[in-house]
Amino acid sequence: MSDTLFPKLPYKLKQRADEATVNIQLQQFVNHATYSKDVARKQAMGGAFGENTDAVRDLAGQIKQHTLDHLDHYLEQFIDNATATGVQVHFARDGEQANQIAVAIAEANKCRLCVKSKSMVTEETHLLPALEAVGCETVETDLGEFILQLDNDAPSHIVTPMIHKDRTAVARAFQRELGAEYTEDAEALAQIARKHLREKYRKADLGISGGNFLVAETGSVVLCTNEGNGRFCTTAPRIHVAFVGIEKLVPRLEHLGVMLKVLARSSTGQPLTCYTHTITGPKREHEHDGPEEVHVVLVDNGRTDVLHEDTREMLRCIRCGACLNSCPVYRKIGGHSYGAVYSGPIGAILTPMLKGLENYTDLPHASSLCGACYEACPVKINIPKYLIQLRRDMVQNHLSGTGDRVTMRLWGESLQHEWSYRIGGWMQKTFARMQAKFGGTLETDDPYASRGWLTWAPGPVKGWTQERDMPTPTAKSFRHWWRKEHGR
Amino acid sequence: MQKTTSDRSQLPTMGEGRAALLARVHAALGRDKTQAPSEPAPVVDESIARLASSDADLPALFTERAQSVGMKVHRVSLEQVVPRLRELLGQLEARRIGVAAGSVGERLELELDAALQADGVKQIDWQAREGVSAQYDLDVGITDVHAAIAETGTLVCCSGSRSSRGLSLVPPVHIALVRVSDILPDMIDYWARLKGMPNTELPSSQAFITGPSKTADIEGELVTGVHGPGAVHILLIDG
Repeated sequence: MSDTLFPKLPYKLKQRADEATVNIQLQQFVNHATYSKDVARKQAMGGAFGENTDAVRDLAGQIKQHTLDHLDHYLEQFIDNATATGVQVHFARDGEQANQIAVAIAEANKCRLCVKSKSMVTEETHLLPALEAVGCETVETDLGEFILQLDNDAPSHIVTPMIHKDRTAVARAFQRELGAEYTEDAEALAQIARKHLREKYRKADLGISGGNFLVAETGSVVLCTNEGNGRFCTTAPRIHVAFVGIEKLVPRLEHLGVMLKVLARSSTGQPLTCYTHTITGPKREHEHDGPEEVHVVLVDNGRTDVLHEDTREMLRCIRCGACLNSCPVYRKIGGHSYGAVYSGPIGAILTPMLKGLENYTDLPHASSLCGACYEACPVKINIPKYLIQLRRDMVQNHLSGTGDRVTMRLWGESLQHEWSYRIGGWMQKTFARMQAKFGGTLETDDPYASRGWLTWAPGPVKGWTQERDMPTPTAKSFRHWWRKEHGR
Repeated sequence: MQKTTSDRSQLPTMGEGRAALLARVHAALGRDKTQAPSEPAPVVDESIARLASSDADLPALFTERAQSVGMKVHRVSLEQVVPRLRELLGQLEARRIGVAAGSVGERLELELDAALQADGVKQIDWQAREGVSAQYDLDVGITDVHAAIAETGTLVCCSGSRSSRGLSLVPPVHIALVRVSDILPDMIDYWARLKGMPNTELPSSQAFITGPSKTADIEGELVTGVHGPGAVHILLIDG
């Protein structure tokens, strides 16, 4: 499992993408799920905000951008205000340090069983094995994550982690790991999970969650879940630990009035997640249920590198998954192809920033730059702009491959003079038509028509012809035709 | 043991420490110490963000939206609350329940107590035991709400001395008592109500409940009741 999201670096996505594009089942699951979510998002955002849809995205983006521009101020505010309510705030430079903090809390309190709700940050830090290593059994409680844990698999979507699996996989996992009777009925499967996980909530002494927002003014942690596991994990056990990235801040409660409205609508098309939970400190003395200790681990893990002015906008991300759902490339290659915790368009720009551009040189190219992600983003992160910026950085830092550099150099040179352009064009045309005769079809007498297809070609064109046929160029060039028709 | 307020100021901090984190944040922002923002935080422009106003027929809007997210709404008068609850509990074959509905009125509580006793429905004393352990074997949790939001059909259930975090979450059925006067048009109005309240006085838990517990993790098929209640009934009380 750890290989899937933490592959050997530098990571090349080709092998996984190739496997994904011929996996018909995966294509169907991912296509169906992302397409329906994309439609739901458009209907929910448009239905609620109408002609203000764009304006509300601007507003949400401005709120996040303002917070990031003054992150020092809002972080300090949050720390002071959270501490005043009795929350213990900890600081983690990287994933390892974050895990050490959680382990220390578990050990100090002799925790034996931990229930955990879905959190992308804990995926980043790889928390689960760290807790298990000190004898604290840790159970994922989000249904999707629970099934992935049983299967020793990794999430492939920010919001719907087991988008790459179907019900038979769930049924087999429950039969194998929980001794349940085989059933493909979704309702029955959910009930099996409910029964099993209830026992865990009952016994758990530690609850771990992420956090969708942190409110500076009040020191609150905001959690959005649909299943209710997030509320369970932060209500039943005696100790609650929240792992939250430092970029999750908003200034005041009233800003949630905008952020929550766009988050659920962009994510699943719901007006709000079923359970939107605001936690402000541990259980008060006069209250009867809730955790006695609340810890917030503020996780950096590369974020302060992204906070620099020219990439700061990327940190606006509220992890709604809308860019994944709208992306034609994600739909084709699935989340695991991105070889990192964050997949899809946002992953393609965030992963190289968090884990080193030299380690993920394929990701900025894993996009057609169609701009659907930018259009979908509720906080208006200009993802295509950053994809291009990263590609430029790669060239400037000599991270692009030798082949690419030579090709681009030759191309650039040949476009400098008319004679070299002409020779280049003639060579390409002649070669392609010859190739089409041997390894393709070419069936026309019209010198200006392209009726042939190149089905196989060597060298740099091979990558193209493996996936689709390429039309052959016409026998005579446009310039030739123009001269003939117009005399010059 | 619960920590008292006095030792909270010395709560231990782990990891790299506040200063180390802030130093990197300062470096990224191009300054050497924390600066208060030179411009105010963006204002929540209501002409953009507000989706329901007080002009709307709030009970009707709330009912429509609550139903659209899968909750069942029963409109009743104050006198009908207890009879309707009895009927509902009968239909649900509830044997053990927990009730935290103090804000709806003492008379109602007494009336309900008597009725439940007559019907043989056991009411547990959820306040007697710390935590949610006593709530796992309940059939129904009945709660009042701190507010309801018309635009999204949302129930706001907060923690407090007379309310429980667990009763709206742990039992398989949640019945919420909502007075028409509890309904606010938009979430914006809820936050406005809290404005200026010191954070140490905010409820430690504010749950915005919008529908029964749901998942679509298995092939996108919508299933209810995966961890929280599979059914939510709302008694919408006139007056």
